[in-house]
Amino acid sequence: MTRYVIGRIGQALLVLWAAFTLSFILLQAMPGDAVLIKFLNPEFGLSADQVADIRAAYAVDSNIVVQYGNTLVNFLRGDFGYSLQAGVPVSAQLATNLPPTLRLAGLGFLAATLLAVFIAFLSSMAPFAWLRNAIQSLPSLFISVPVFWLAIMLIQIFSFRFRLVSVINPGPWESLVLPVATLAVPIAAPLAQILIRNIDEIRTRPFVAVARAKGASETRLLWRHVARNAILPTLTIAGVLFGELIAGAVVTETVFGLNGIGGLTEKAVGNQDLSVLQAVVVISAAAFVTINLAVDLAYPLLDPRLRNRSGAAA
Amino acid sequence: MTRYRTLIAFSLGLLATTTFATAGLAADAPAKGGTLVYLEQQAHTNLYPPAGGFYPNGGVLNQVTDKLTYQNPKTLEIEPWLATSWTVNDNATEYTFKLRPGVTFSDGTPVDAATVAKNFDTFGLGNKPLKQPVSEVVNNYDHSEVIDPLTVKFTFKKPSPGFLQGTSVIGSGIVSLSTLALPFEQLGDATKIIGSGPFVVKAETIGKSLDLTVREDYNWGPAKLEHQGRAYLDGINYIVTAEDSVRIGALLAGQADFIRQIQAYDEGQVEAQSFTIYAPGTRGVNNSIVFRPDNPLVSDIKVRKALSLAVNRDEILSTIFSKNYPKATSIIASTAIGYVAQEDKLGYDPEKAEALLDEAGFKLGADGIRAKDGQKLILTSYESLPQPQSRAVLQLIAQQWSKLGVKLNVLAGDAGSKVVDELDPLKTPVAVAMVGRADPDVVKSQYYPTNRNLLLQKGGVSDKVKTFSDDRLNAILDEIASQPDREKRLKAVADAQAYVLDQAYAVPIFEEPQAFAGAPYVKGVAFEAVGRPAFYSTWLDK
Amino acid sequence: MTSIDTFAHLTSTTAEASPRLGKRRGVLKTLRNFPYGLALAWLVLTLVLLWAIVPWIFTSYDPLQGTPGGQLKAPSALHLLGTDSLGRDLFARIVYGAVHSLSGAVAAVGVGLVVGSGIGLIAGSVRGRVDEVLMRLVDVLLSIPTLLLSLSIIILLGFGTLNAAIAVGATAIAGFARLMRSEVVRVRNAEFVEAAFGSGGTFGKVLWRHILPNSLTSVVAYTAVQFGWAILQISTLGFLGYGAPPPTPEWGLLIAEGRNYLATAWWLTAAPGLIVVAVVLSANRISQSIGRSAR
Repeated sequence: MTRYVIGRIGQALLVLWAAFTLSFILLQAMPGDAVLIKFLNPEFGLSADQVADIRAAYAVDSNIVVQYGNTLVNFLRGDFGYSLQAGVPVSAQLATNLPPTLRLAGLGFLAATLLAVFIAFLSSMAPFAWLRNAIQSLPSLFISVPVFWLAIMLIQIFSFRFRLVSVINPGPWESLVLPVATLAVPIAAPLAQILIRNIDEIRTRPFVAVARAKGASETRLLWRHVARNAILPTLTIAGVLFGELIAGAVVTETVFGLNGIGGLTEKAVGNQDLSVLQAVVVISAAAFVTINLAVDLAYPLLDPRLRNRSGAAA
Repeated sequence: MTRYRTLIAFSLGLLATTTFATAGLAADAPAKGGTLVYLEQQAHTNLYPPAGGFYPNGGVLNQVTDKLTYQNPKTLEIEPWLATSWTVNDNATEYTFKLRPGVTFSDGTPVDAATVAKNFDTFGLGNKPLKQPVSEVVNNYDHSEVIDPLTVKFTFKKPSPGFLQGTSVIGSGIVSLSTLALPFEQLGDATKIIGSGPFVVKAETIGKSLDLTVREDYNWGPAKLEHQGRAYLDGINYIVTAEDSVRIGALLAGQADFIRQIQAYDEGQVEAQSFTIYAPGTRGVNNSIVFRPDNPLVSDIKVRKALSLAVNRDEILSTIFSKNYPKATSIIASTAIGYVAQEDKLGYDPEKAEALLDEAGFKLGADGIRAKDGQKLILTSYESLPQPQSRAVLQLIAQQWSKLGVKLNVLAGDAGSKVVDELDPLKTPVAVAMVGRADPDVVKSQYYPTNRNLLLQKGGVSDKVKTFSDDRLNAILDEIASQPDREKRLKAVADAQAYVLDQAYAVPIFEEPQAFAGAPYVKGVAFEAVGRPAFYSTWLDK
Repeated sequence: MTSIDTFAHLTSTTAEASPRLGKRRGVLKTLRNFPYGLALAWLVLTLVLLWAIVPWIFTSYDPLQGTPGGQLKAPSALHLLGTDSLGRDLFARIVYGAVHSLSGAVAAVGVGLVVGSGIGLIAGSVRGRVDEVLMRLVDVLLSIPTLLLSLSIIILLGFGTLNAAIAVGATAIAGFARLMRSEVVRVRNAEFVEAAFGSGGTFGKVLWRHILPNSLTSVVAYTAVQFGWAILQISTLGFLGYGAPPPTPEWGLLIAEGRNYLATAWWLTAAPGLIVVAVVLSANRISQSIGRSAR
């Protein structure tokens, strides 16, 4: 077991390094560079010589291998450098942008899980087939609505028309209501689909019939099973969705005017702000490997059935 | 060198308030207090003062820093501010400023001759170890000299007649020594920008919001302004809200007081609720498209003339814009210094355009696109994100040109590709141009090869240009920049306008405003010449 | 690699969410249970496909040339879905945009399917070192934020419908690879495959005859889901300013650009939005039916 854990940690570090390197290559291959974008901007109105001076000061034209080495060493030392575009240390940007994104993501997941369980139950309780069908097609509907459109509609309706929540200068909880709802909808969809299927399967199992015959309430039975069955898929999805979540967050953040990693990434890509992007990649990759590691190690504990399989698959 | 002739126009609001006051409407006397919630479209970037040209930056720096001089937005005269008086020698190589006593930065340090000297040493020469670039406002700078604690003298290598006005722009905002001691990479943190202005940065969430608070002891506004003493507002709360519909919705729903960037199509719903649209002009080069004659497709003046004649300005304005967007009548705005109407050179005549293209040898092909010697007349331009509805304008021009058999590809691109491609005349024979500035120099900086080099002449930043260079144009531009005699200088500005249009280098479309919207109770909002807001005299009537 | 396998299993089964309602009912009731939804889904996709192939029989308007002065007109008999800010007929733009959106989505899914399934197939069949390396590579793809990945790819390749599709496809590779691998592993361990190996089949033959066809069903179901997802992703890229260049009437771009007119001309974003919802729903519905028929 210890060897397995050490091996997995080694793999995780390898993935981290590969993500760093791949993104470095990707960013270097882009046309133009951050200094060009920043200083050739007409707002500065600098002459060719002045731009050349600045390029020399930032050493953007130095050997790419040297640049890679420098960046890697600095990162290993925990020095993320400065954002050229924003003019602040990357660590300061991360400090202001990471917590809101984590909060949004965490609550988004929670809300998504609750929503999914709710839908799954509603569908199992529905007395008519047509109603059940309608409820069961909700998840499909959820994933077919563009997130930015949903966000804008939610604001228009709840903030501007009915004035229920404020988007500008909201209270700490008020500020999260609409963004969390926006984020939860697309994540809830696949979860709900899995749960609906699970409930359906459980119903056909003999023990349900037995329990029912003994007078147990079917609803209570389902609750217990669904609760247990909801944990695993949620965890699994949490493991893979982190990277995707940033993409989802950028939309929510842009529309709701929140600060966060998503918006930071989008701006940095546009300006080719290398140090910011490298930091984002490393953090997101670190989160990814950590969550996956945790999920992998926790899986057998949560589901005894998987104990043997885990050994076999690993 | 380009200069932002940025000036602080408190006059708008002041005029309004003083008129009312003299009419005896005591209810309209400015009230102190309140915080203005201001929604910005973009986050500010680096706040090194010479970077104040970027609108979000200027919007912040304008409230936080003071300048040596103040350019009256009505008369465009230079008036005292931090400098009470000044002298200039005859050939404009030596400037001596007397400073106002008792002025302090928000950290308590004095605004004295040494500090001002250090500011202009940095802006004029740059600071390589700290990576602070040169300001485009300060040209031919040599050195400074502290005569006494309140007298500072600047010396220039060559005549620099534009320097006096250059001291009045946002890019010449005076900051404390502690700010100038920071490396360029750290100047994006607004809390580190220590100025002597009417507001002080209290707190910032980088990329999201910024809190300014009033300086109670502020008592050194521009000397000739009606309003003296501290600003009326207690503070300003900047919030970055990128989404257009959210900014407008929030304003109309009462969640915000003032917003920047409102598109023409949204003006109706704002005015319908009796909110105010502010569309201050930018007094510079009009929103235009320019040609890069180094590209063989547009090297023939007949082709350029034809394309210019085929642009229907009225159609563009009536389809996309509103009354706040005046039609262009020259390459510079009608409110710009040295403007001369050129309407006779800016007609719309599709028949003549077709005849010119025929003459130039571009014949209609079977696919409906004109070609000459197998070269199809297919042009390309990038949209310009900061310009209002640039994408729509270009699409409409493409539509108008397509009737002649000319195809215009409109590209949306990332910043990197755009910067690189815009240096290559073969890739971008057409470009969108606009710059806000209240000085004749604007024309020179726009076209001169070693400045912005919009036409991509040989000798500029681009190494992709093969031959194109227009000595006659450059001679006129040189005259604008170096002629100390005002009348002769204005004559050169007139010549440049006529010449650029005679050569059909540029197709001006409209005079670009900066559009803002405010709640009805927001009074006394003022704008400097290129449309950046100044909230010194702003107050809330609620 | 429990989580990865389980994830793949889950993604494959998300497609088949609908319960087998009909099975517990009588024969008579099955008649009443004619899959109207499924029929409608096919109908929607057929119509949209026709738009893509022969757009001109659906509208007489030009999608690129507007009528200046006739901008922002509300839906009417003359303009079924109104006009946009340059006076172009919105219905014509949607109809002519079908080819861009559909080909974009097909290209995106194609990239994911071919590359991803290829990786998964090799990893799952060869196992061992190759499997480890390939799946760690997939991990790397998953660990880089998808947004960063797709925006970088677009910047590298340049703006355009196809390039946006490739960028979206690149982010789909990992999902396909994991699913394919887990399916291959599942099939490989099945008795009939063991038997095929036992009866002397070469690796390639067994792979081609037994493993591939048996693992494809859930991949096909997943593909249908991804098709709808790709349309949305391309739309989101348009929202972020990385969409097709104008005046391409790509649906995602129509929704993204129309959102600015939500308060003044709601139809500009509502109409293309509803079309996308209809297409994505249809794709999901069809995916479900594929998934179900596989069981």
